[in-house]
Amino acid sequence: MSFARRYGASPVHLLAHLLVLPLAAWAVLQVLDFRGARDVVVWFVAALVLHDLVLLPAYSALDRVWQRARVRGIPIVNHLRVPAFASAVTFLVFFPLILGKSDGNLRYVSGVQPSGYLGRWLLLVAAAWALSALVLAVRLVRADELQDAGAPHPDRAA
Amino acid sequence: MGLRGPLVRRAALSAPPGPFRPGFWRSPLRGPWLTTAIGVVLLAGVAVVAVTGFLSHAAYEPSLPGNAIVPAARDLPLTFDWPSGPAWLYGLTQGLHTNVGLATIPLLLAKLWSVIPRLFAWPPVASAAQGIERLAIALLVGSALFEFATGVANMQNWYPFGFNFVVAHYYGAVVFVSALAIHLVVKLPLMRRAWRDRGGLAPLRQSLADTRPEPPEAGGLAPVAPAAPTITRRGVLGLAFAGSGALLLANAGQTIGGPLRSVALLAPRREDFPVNKTAGAARIDIAATRPETWRLDLGGRSLTRDELLALDLRTEALPIACVEGWTTTQTWEGVRLRDLARLAGVPGAREVTVRSLQERGVLRRSTLSRDAIEDDRSLLALRVNGADLSLDHGYPARIIVPGLPGVHNTKWVAKLEFRA
Repeated sequence: MSFARRYGASPVHLLAHLLVLPLAAWAVLQVLDFRGARDVVVWFVAALVLHDLVLLPAYSALDRVWQRARVRGIPIVNHLRVPAFASAVTFLVFFPLILGKSDGNLRYVSGVQPSGYLGRWLLLVAAAWALSALVLAVRLVRADELQDAGAPHPDRAA
Repeated sequence: MGLRGPLVRRAALSAPPGPFRPGFWRSPLRGPWLTTAIGVVLLAGVAVVAVTGFLSHAAYEPSLPGNAIVPAARDLPLTFDWPSGPAWLYGLTQGLHTNVGLATIPLLLAKLWSVIPRLFAWPPVASAAQGIERLAIALLVGSALFEFATGVANMQNWYPFGFNFVVAHYYGAVVFVSALAIHLVVKLPLMRRAWRDRGGLAPLRQSLADTRPEPPEAGGLAPVAPAAPTITRRGVLGLAFAGSGALLLANAGQTIGGPLRSVALLAPRREDFPVNKTAGAARIDIAATRPETWRLDLGGRSLTRDELLALDLRTEALPIACVEGWTTTQTWEGVRLRDLARLAGVPGAREVTVRSLQERGVLRRSTLSRDAIEDDRSLLALRVNGADLSLDHGYPARIIVPGLPGVHNTKWVAKLEFRA
């Protein structure tokens, strides 16, 4: 039996893992020797589980619900996806500020009371949805004009 | 990867229901080409973030006394003498680190979406190669999410964990870069093949009507039972970029400054002249800062604040650039470090250890190199923007040097130890 058959991949595959994994293992051992090692493991595993088994299935399920959404025959799912993603990803990144989770600490170190993050995030969300709705409105008007001119709209034909 | 012999194929048939069955994943867009396209852009992003991250580690000059946060004995020998100019150097590298980092998050999410069927491959380990590769992939994805999560938390001063951020973020980066290197070696041939087979950028030009699934392949990314497309491949990348744009818009103003600062709706530091740490937070004894008690200790001699003000004062516009990604440029007035080295009797000093009135914390002292001391613009600042420093900005005196991380501009300076 050849090496590739027994191992399951080329020798380069094995070599890459054998050469570089020890460096990663060294770093893991180092960080586990500092204070809060348990939290490092918790965060590492929680990040994987939360993303792969919670976040991704959740947004996939949501996406499946609105995939068939149409307005006057025109699919609008991408007019939902773009503002929803912009809203969600800004919340995902800035939720500590938006929900005031680090307010106390920030005020303590900087002397300034963080304020207005929730309001400004909502502004950003509103702007994203408004922009998307505006583009949709333009598309709908164009589709009507095309129809008036007697041509079937390509989206509707599809 | 791995050989999909008859045995494996039979195992796939007996896979548990749900995501372990190939037919479960129906997106017509998934496939080696899309993963390659997202992967290339993601790679460019994480390369910038990783390089600037390790540059930041070097900019702290951990080889100088008292500067290391990751103990030198347990560090990689990758540091070098960080130059003291141009003045905006650290603002640039760290601005890239934080902002490109933010912009890369949607690309990471898109990339993980594109490869999610692989998580549920059945059987979970079909060969030794697949086993070791899945271990490396777990390290890669886990460390990527860990690095972004901790970096984003640190930017916002949110610390719901017991570990030291710098230490964990640093070693996490070593894990990430190692696992990424393995991943690239393993996947490069697949990426090249996917690119060639689908005609390079050609799928980006397809309209929705022309968007076809990639043919099912051994890797299990392309769907065996695809649904009808609802978005083009160009659209998927555009969606990720829209997320990147929103994050940049929300934050980049705190790095670039000027009128953009007020546009940065979600930036943690929206003030024109932020304070990294107040005198209160640093537990500075206010009595020790009063002109009648405070003296600058230069080793052999000490100077009152009035004596310092009577020296040759210089005015320099210099930025403070924080590791968290914000920068602010102000006009500082003070005595050149070079001149103070001469007064201390150590002209041409090799290094200086700056000690603060601050009694606790890693940043109560820092050591500056000869480059920083000799730079014309390096000052012990007494005034800023035409007025005395405020207590929170380091009164009675603070260091301001070009090109270094903000925290090496030590505030409430009590002592300068110049060494030849």
